[in-house]
Amino acid sequence: MQGFQERGGGGGAPPDLAQLQSTMRAIELACTSIQMHMNPAEAEATILLLAQSHQPYQACKFILENSQVANARFQAAAAIKDAAIREWGFLSPDDKRNLISFCLCFTMQHANSPEGYVQVKVSSVAAQLLKRGWLDFTAVEKESFFYQVNQAISGIHGVDVQFAGINFLESLVSEFSPSTSTAMGLPREFHEQCRKSLERDHLKTFYCWARDAALSVTNRIIESNSAIPEVKACNAALRLMLQILNWDFLYKSSGAASSVFSGGVRQDNDSPKRSEVNLVQPGPAWREILVTSGHIGWLLSLYAALRHKFSCEGYWLDCPIAVSARKLIVQFCSLAGTIFPSDNVQMHEHHLLQLLSGIIAWIDPPDAVSRAIESGKSESEMLDGCRALLSIANITYPTVFDQLLKSTSEVVKNLMNNDSEEETWSWEARDILLDTWIALLVPVNRNSGNALLPPEGRSAAANLFALIVESELRAASASAFNDDVDSNYLQASISAMDERLSSYALIARAASDVTIPFLIEVFAKGFARITQGRGLVDHTECLEELYSLLLIIGHVIADEGEGETPLVPNAIQTQFSDILEAEKHPVIILCSSIIKFAEQSLNPEMRELVFSPRLMEAVIWFLARWSSTYLMSPEENADLNSSKVLVEFFGQHNQGKPVLDIIIHISLTALVSYPGEKDLQALTCNHLLHALVLRKHICVHLVQLDSWRDLANAFANDKNLLLLDTAHQRSLAQTLVRSASGLRNSESSNQYVRDLMGHMATYLVELLRKNNLKSIAQQPDIILSVSCLLERLRGVASASEPRTQKAINELGFAVMNPVLVLLKVYKDESAVVYLLLKFVVDWVDGQISYLEAHETAAVVNFCMNLLQLYSSHNIGKISLSLSSSLLNEAKTDKYKDLRALLQLLSNLCSKDLVDFSSDSNETQGTNISQVVYFGLLIITPLITLDLLKYPKLCHDYFSLLSHLLEVYPETVAQLNTDAFSNVLGTLDFGLHHQDIDVVDNCLRALRALASYHYIETRGGKTGLGSHAAGLKDQGGNLQEGILSRFLRSLLQLLLFEDYSPDLVSSAADALLPLLLCEQGLYQRLGNELIERQPNETLKSRLANALHGLTSANQLMSTLERKNYQIFRKNLTSFLIEVRGFLRTK
Amino acid sequence: MSDEEHHFESKADAGASKTYPQQAGTIRKNGYIVIKGRPCKVVEVSTSKTGKHGHAKCHFVAIDIFTAKKLEDIVPSSHNCDVPHVNRTDYQLIDISEDGFVSLLTDNGNTKDDLRLPTDEALLSQIKDGFAEGKDLVVSVMSAMGEEQICALKDIGPKN
Repeated sequence: MQGFQERGGGGGAPPDLAQLQSTMRAIELACTSIQMHMNPAEAEATILLLAQSHQPYQACKFILENSQVANARFQAAAAIKDAAIREWGFLSPDDKRNLISFCLCFTMQHANSPEGYVQVKVSSVAAQLLKRGWLDFTAVEKESFFYQVNQAISGIHGVDVQFAGINFLESLVSEFSPSTSTAMGLPREFHEQCRKSLERDHLKTFYCWARDAALSVTNRIIESNSAIPEVKACNAALRLMLQILNWDFLYKSSGAASSVFSGGVRQDNDSPKRSEVNLVQPGPAWREILVTSGHIGWLLSLYAALRHKFSCEGYWLDCPIAVSARKLIVQFCSLAGTIFPSDNVQMHEHHLLQLLSGIIAWIDPPDAVSRAIESGKSESEMLDGCRALLSIANITYPTVFDQLLKSTSEVVKNLMNNDSEEETWSWEARDILLDTWIALLVPVNRNSGNALLPPEGRSAAANLFALIVESELRAASASAFNDDVDSNYLQASISAMDERLSSYALIARAASDVTIPFLIEVFAKGFARITQGRGLVDHTECLEELYSLLLIIGHVIADEGEGETPLVPNAIQTQFSDILEAEKHPVIILCSSIIKFAEQSLNPEMRELVFSPRLMEAVIWFLARWSSTYLMSPEENADLNSSKVLVEFFGQHNQGKPVLDIIIHISLTALVSYPGEKDLQALTCNHLLHALVLRKHICVHLVQLDSWRDLANAFANDKNLLLLDTAHQRSLAQTLVRSASGLRNSESSNQYVRDLMGHMATYLVELLRKNNLKSIAQQPDIILSVSCLLERLRGVASASEPRTQKAINELGFAVMNPVLVLLKVYKDESAVVYLLLKFVVDWVDGQISYLEAHETAAVVNFCMNLLQLYSSHNIGKISLSLSSSLLNEAKTDKYKDLRALLQLLSNLCSKDLVDFSSDSNETQGTNISQVVYFGLLIITPLITLDLLKYPKLCHDYFSLLSHLLEVYPETVAQLNTDAFSNVLGTLDFGLHHQDIDVVDNCLRALRALASYHYIETRGGKTGLGSHAAGLKDQGGNLQEGILSRFLRSLLQLLLFEDYSPDLVSSAADALLPLLLCEQGLYQRLGNELIERQPNETLKSRLANALHGLTSANQLMSTLERKNYQIFRKNLTSFLIEVRGFLRTK
Repeated sequence: MSDEEHHFESKADAGASKTYPQQAGTIRKNGYIVIKGRPCKVVEVSTSKTGKHGHAKCHFVAIDIFTAKKLEDIVPSSHNCDVPHVNRTDYQLIDISEDGFVSLLTDNGNTKDDLRLPTDEALLSQIKDGFAEGKDLVVSVMSAMGEEQICALKDIGPKN
């Protein structure tokens, strides 16, 4: 393979022809053998060798021009690119220009070649090289390239060349757009600068060229009746225009910022939309080209002409040119921003009307269109029409959209009507149209009724909603007997359904005066049907309908809180402002009737007949959603009369308490009377009850209710509740303890917690007293109850609040000893061990900041015992099992345990940061940092490299490690040699990890370590002492100090290995103090590096770069912030300068 | 002491019937369950409903703790399942005999010589290699429903 080593245009002797030919043959052979699947590895190696050889340009050019094998030409082009990008730094300016113009000329000359992919590759290589040199070339040089391209695009050299020219621009634009650019090993700023420069100087010109090219062939296309070659060029031009309009314009907000369209663009990012709509905002400079020059009129007429041709040969609805034209039209619908002058609203309106008049033919009349699609016509045009509507809806408000609205809503409604069949296209159309509605309705909702919909829109919304409910109910009853087996699929479809329901809700709220009474009526009907049937008939369909109805109503009348307290939706607040009597308020009637329905579930007979687990899930879900908005909501939120009536009715002094009582009764029923229904229990515990106790004013009433006391009592004593899923028991314990915040004072809260949990702790203590503990502990029933109790304790521990802290503190101290004993007894029962650890983690997390000095000592002592015990059980243990999945489980268990232990250590760490104890001045206090280091040393041997493959564990471990090194470098200095090298060994491992965060953590740790040492030694102290100085091992060999070791490995990493460019700045921060600590070594390494370089020019470049690294920009030998910044800059330019040739082999 | 020992011996015999009833809904992943008369460890639990408005049922995928065979079962989640009593005891390994039996030291100083070595080559070599290197080895013996097997191995190393 010597043939690849010849020198190219770099000034060496011209290579001889025979050599070039042999190279070509080798590559051709390799390409054919890859195609035939003969020895592909070797063939790939051959091709790779070409790309990696030094200056292979001559050979590549030769192959491009002479080879008959298309693949060989393709590979040659790729090799040019790889080599030129790599060697760009030391190509002469002439070489660079020659390479680009060679590629350009090649595409133009071979424009009619049948192997299109080679042409595309070559033109993309030209584009990439042009970008690589973009900032070096002068304007004149660039112009000369573009002159050539312009000539081609203008069409004087024929259609093929025109096509090639447009193609080149397409690759160029995509190369300059950051999301589609190729990596060049340069910093992000480079790409940013290129992008800005192209947008400022060239993009508009390109657009004009493309437009002119398309214009020039339009007439011929329209006149001819069959496919002609011009179509290809026109299609390419349309594609290029679309691509340019897709550009992420930077100068969008130049000039006057706001317009009549209140800021030009609506920023509603929070609306529940499924499809992304990107706005096109090129700024005022583009007005002339895009808006006022009649460009759109031309485009629409082009497409209209194409529509007539669909019957002709070579044209059809989905032929490329039609698709591109449609896409471009849709893109124009999203045109917005300062391109339209702020003092001329008509211009934007006119623009939209013009587009709409073109688009309306695609979707109107909807009946006819959907019938045609059913009978086999392609649906893409209709879908594009819907997309265009969505785009228009996105940039305008309904008030402006008024003229358009009427037609749109009709279209939408009719389509919805036809969309009941289950076909993908109709689902897609439905989704897009729903989005359109949302885009229209969201601002209405937000502006609290200032911009109410015009009456036509509202009646359309009302009709539409009635239609939706009807079809949903039909779908529900039709699917009532389907068995949903696949639960994963179910989850996905639930969230999709959630989105759909929230868009229904928006539509319903737009006309709530009609839709709420409508819902009352429908629900009453369903209720009546179910009570009439009473077990005589199978009413599964009816149940399913009620289920859907509950979900829909829940979405319509209340919003998802997402952690906040949701308010009564605006539309509902404002709608019924004239109704002052509660009995007549439609929302109150609706809610009351549903609560009445839910109350029926307390009756065992009704429960048996009607309330299936699934229906009960909907009931609980509804109650949770409803109660967070309406139940005892703070009355100051109600400013309007209507919502005052609404809020007061379910407030604390009216119906609030009875309803709360009902809700608690229903929850208890759901927990006790539906054994084994995990989904229902999960909803009740995690959703309903959990949300209730988050609000303090509800807690105040809760703790006074008998039903709540019943629940607490059942929790403490009822065996039934021990059968809940253990995670739900945890949640329930947490909920019950949280409700203590509603009690009058801290004493009663603490007493409440003691009463609740007291005998559970006692049970554990009693259990340990039994002398046959060791044998009975393994009985399944004992294991079950121990796990339940531990989960409950964990729930309580995680509910720590200042008020109940005392009781939970006592609880923890009471079970400390039992925990250790249990850990010993259950050392082989991984599930129990994990629970024990998690309990300790949560308890320490909640309590650590309150602990007094002596308590801290006790807790720390306890934790160390725990760690040691765990370690002694597990170190060196090998599970023997035939089953690989059981072995894997064992490994996962271990990972989870270790992660818990790391969390425990992190929690202990926080004692130094947050401390509420009364004697916070640490005189005899425990030194947390030492403890944590000690803990880390206990568990480090348990963490094998295999376990570090679990990303979360790895992450936790290294963030703890770097935290420790950053905050307490002095402690690490005092560690003994073994421990120290152990810690540092893992650091070394982390430095070469793939995960950026891990490496970043390690670099931060290194920086902390080295700067600590530097500052200390400058102050005349020992710093890291013997660790840094290096020492003699047993064999008498001098070992390097750790800082030298890390300096070496960090330099190695930076210069020769692969890493993410994002790491350079943190690497700089670590490198600077290392350099300062070990200047001698750094000099030596630098010299070695220079000596190793064979090439004289490179040698001097390297020497200069190394010199610049430490002396450019007035770098000083201190560790100030400013100095770090300078060094970051220096390192970046150093790496750009030398990494290219250092890594070349 | 002898009482204690006697208790242990009798349990190993009566172990065949040593299972406990437990509600299916409370059996979680990593728990034990009896499927088709075999003690198993659960590796997967999923719940589904019998028809949309029916009751929940649990689908267990479990692995026989002795033979490593995979077994599956579906049980309504409010019904009871049998859960085996799985016991683990640690012994110090004294000797490995030629005929494939191990000699173990019990807590009270007696030896237990009735346990066979695993037949699987990989597991066997893990035990034999460790023993040949002269390490102090502790083996965990898992027993359930009248069967016993070595399930884990631990090097306790030199006493310090």
